[in-house]
Amino acid sequence: MINETRRSRLVLYAALGAFALFALAPYYWVIRTSFLTNFAAIDPATNYLPALESLTMAAYEQIWERYNFITFFKNSILVSVTATVISLFFSIPGAYAFARLDFPGRKVLFYTAVFTIMFPWIVITIPVYEVFYLLNLINTLVGVMIALSIFVLPQTIWLLQGFFRQGIPENIEEAALIDGHSELGAFLRIVLPLSAPAVGAAALFAFLTAWNNFLWVFVLTSDEEVRTATVALHYILGSDVLRQWNILMAAVVLLVAPPVVFYGLSQRYVGEGLGGM
Amino acid sequence: MARVKFDDVTKVFEDTSGPIVAVEELSLDIPDGEFVVFVGPSGCGKSTTLRMLAGLESITDGEIRLDDQPINQMSPRDRDIAMVFQSYALYPHKTVRQNMGYGLQLSTDLSDEEVDRRVVEAAEMMGIEDLLDKKPGSLSGGQQQRVATGRAIVREPAVFLFDEPLSNLDAQLRKHMRTELSRIHSELGITTIYVTHDQEEAMTMADRIVILNDGKLQQVGTPKEVYYRPANAFVADFIGSPSMNFFDVDLRTESDGSGTLAGEGISYAVSNDVVEMVGGDGEYTLGIRPENLRIDSTAPDAKTFEAEVDVVEVIGSDNFLYLEVGGKECRVRAPVEIEPAEGETVDVTFDESDLHLFDRNTEEALVHGHERADAEPRTIEQEA
Repeated sequence: MINETRRSRLVLYAALGAFALFALAPYYWVIRTSFLTNFAAIDPATNYLPALESLTMAAYEQIWERYNFITFFKNSILVSVTATVISLFFSIPGAYAFARLDFPGRKVLFYTAVFTIMFPWIVITIPVYEVFYLLNLINTLVGVMIALSIFVLPQTIWLLQGFFRQGIPENIEEAALIDGHSELGAFLRIVLPLSAPAVGAAALFAFLTAWNNFLWVFVLTSDEEVRTATVALHYILGSDVLRQWNILMAAVVLLVAPPVVFYGLSQRYVGEGLGGM
Repeated sequence: MARVKFDDVTKVFEDTSGPIVAVEELSLDIPDGEFVVFVGPSGCGKSTTLRMLAGLESITDGEIRLDDQPINQMSPRDRDIAMVFQSYALYPHKTVRQNMGYGLQLSTDLSDEEVDRRVVEAAEMMGIEDLLDKKPGSLSGGQQQRVATGRAIVREPAVFLFDEPLSNLDAQLRKHMRTELSRIHSELGITTIYVTHDQEEAMTMADRIVILNDGKLQQVGTPKEVYYRPANAFVADFIGSPSMNFFDVDLRTESDGSGTLAGEGISYAVSNDVVEMVGGDGEYTLGIRPENLRIDSTAPDAKTFEAEVDVVEVIGSDNFLYLEVGGKECRVRAPVEIEPAEGETVDVTFDESDLHLFDRNTEEALVHGHERADAEPRTIEQEA
């Protein structure tokens, strides 16, 4: 007979296993489909675990030949990285100010920033389009970069101010002031190095938000040269009368790969950074 | 080393509910080399005062001088001070050696060897030589406290500031560090301002104690002065543990010039001297320290009152008796032989030379016992 703790542990792992299966099955299906021919992908006779010889790189080769994915990915990386850098550049001092300084309108500004995170962006597409049109930024990568930076900014500020408020004791900065730093020096030399995990986590989320952004790229661009991979996928999905599931899934795999790599690189920081928030 | 002078220093915080006066017109002169302890309940303004001196808090009104030089507008780094925080505030990403040497590197042009020599010297003084290459995260609270103190010592500043540095340590370590900080002060002779809410810490370490309440200076004096001659009921209550017993009494003068203090279950005959000093009949608050009360059935009736024993706490060296007198708690520190049963009625007495009388309205001290009351009690105005 198994004792109480072992039995409850068994139940725990069974539940965790079921949940993992539920969560991971779609990903498996995406990867499986991307390595099959389109016919095999929709053939009910294909096993859940397809035979090794039925796997093929055909879908990936077709993507390479039929679509301009190098441009799409280059655009995606360019706009995501730029949006991440720009938003961090502004949100680090901004978040620090929200966390530490008392200035008139601090609360109003902060809640405005937080509100924009929750605001349904689709509502403001037309005015935003108008503004970018007036600024001559429609159908340009610069326009997309600016738009993504702006929309990523509040979320980055929100994440970072929480860390500055709770993760960095004020006394440490005060000790730095007494040790001989100016306020800026204390921030740059003491606070910022200590905030590396949080900045890493915020950068990851900024990158993911920018990478996954569909709406603004879709609204602000129409030319293929300035299209990002996320939007390109939508065009692939909508282009063929006969759905080519394998190609679609291969594109999805490619689309998901960079964020996964980026997460892998910054994973060490993310837990630590979020821990302080 | 430096002399520190506060001139009518006031600090007002602006809050949404209106201005909050944290420190009100504080004037204080601290001579070079003195160890001064600021003590008071939380929110009394002691830390704010220290932070104004450090430059971490702006000064609303008044002036702080360091060696006769006004420092109101000076940034913290130009003030030549070192501070130890309650949370220690060590840089977690730097080793102990880097933590201790950082201030010297930033604020002086000493060579790296010289900085290191001074760091090692300070580390030896604090007994942390073998921790120099560790990060603060791997140290115990006591060790971190030593590092924080070492970091201040290395600077050889004009003034040391301590903001409740021992509050996060356990009782035993706290006592040990108390002695150690006193030793360091006598070795270095640097002006030291130490903030604490613990009156025992203040009594044991200070050359002079500054007692604050509600942002106002209550009394400045040596530990003995504030203990034997508290300026008012607040100081009397705050200094000493267990704290002083207070009874609201009326003084009735007899025809021979002597008098009787009566009220709240107490009736106690006092001599002509006491009557003269308080200036006749009136309403007063009688204060008497637990260590001055005695359980004694042989004392004269006129100087005795009855009390019921509520709780007896045996602490080894003494017994703490909690009595009930006229519906109020009365604390007595008795020798170990005196251990009455709970519920028993005992006779309590004290010497006239140990009593304190306060004005019931202003709470100012009027009389401090017979023998020690030969002069007017010092008042806040005189001290300031």
